[in-house]
Amino acid sequence: MGSTAGGCLCGAVRYTLARAPAEMDVCHCGMCRKHTGGLALGLMVPRDEVTWEGFEHVGLFRSSDWAERGFCRTCGSGLFYRTLGDGPGSDMISLGAGSLDDLDGVRLTTEIFVDFQPDGYAFAGDLKRMTQAEVEAAFGSEEDSA
Amino acid sequence: MTDDVRDRTGGCYCGAVRFTARDVPLTFGICHCETCRRWTGSALLGVTVPADNITWEGEDHIARHQSSSFAERAWCSTCGSNLFFRFTGGGAPVGGVELPVGVLDDASDMVVHNEIFIDHKPDAYAFVPNDRQVLTRAQCAEKFPLLDRG
Ligand SMILES: [Zn+2]
Ligand SMILES: [Zn+2]
Ligand SMILES: [Zn+2]
Ligand SMILES: [Zn+2]
Repeated sequence: MGSTAGGCLCGAVRYTLARAPAEMDVCHCGMCRKHTGGLALGLMVPRDEVTWEGFEHVGLFRSSDWAERGFCRTCGSGLFYRTLGDGPGSDMISLGAGSLDDLDGVRLTTEIFVDFQPDGYAFAGDLKRMTQAEVEAAFGSEEDSA
Repeated sequence: MTDDVRDRTGGCYCGAVRFTARDVPLTFGICHCETCRRWTGSALLGVTVPADNITWEGEDHIARHQSSSFAERAWCSTCGSNLFFRFTGGGAPVGGVELPVGVLDDASDMVVHNEIFIDHKPDAYAFVPNDRQVLTRAQCAEKFPLLDRG
């Protein structure tokens, strides 16, 4: 298990989680790569289990009709991706994994949009790998995609 | 101009900031330090380009933060995309600009050539090993004494 607290680089935005996350995933779609600068490691947690401090420093960018991305306006740290409205996934939020204070014990389990992954790097280990078509079949098409 | 560099274009997620970069190397590095981890939400995949080789458009959308005594980080104030990291020395920028490979329009032909602060990498993930150079924080500080000045 990781820790239950996290925040941005400058400390203006902090959060606590009701439970320590155990797993993370990575999205290789073009939008996630652009937004994070490369690697979109996410911690998917129930939205009502996140308590924010300093949320007034969060900049929100509506990245599609159904989703928005949050970042710290003071230091530029990427903080989260979440869907809008009350559609599928609206009870969850994907936090940028690197924002957690301590990732020890959290495991990377799943890679999505693997058909968009650049050839220049690859994660080691026996991970669940899903293409865009497989993600859409499993969750509907509410994900941003490349 | 040698074979191992290319001219590239890139920009943030929303398109408010665009750039062209001349002579971008084909190789990039991965930094696992805590600052890069928090800033990107993962790790910084960065390619080093001389500052003079980059032409920015939409510069009024670039926000900056002095992340340590020796470096600044910049992002798009509209969409939050991480745009660059650069050493600032004692004030004026020095050396190259580190561009996250994710903001390049096409980085599909680029490969990792080093992985630094490997002793700060969370155990949660690891990259498939290739012949890249792997350095600990201490080994980085030997090469760049600036690191130990805070
Ligand atoms: Zn911040
Ligand atoms: Zn994605
Ligand atoms: Zn932007
Ligand atoms: Zn770093």
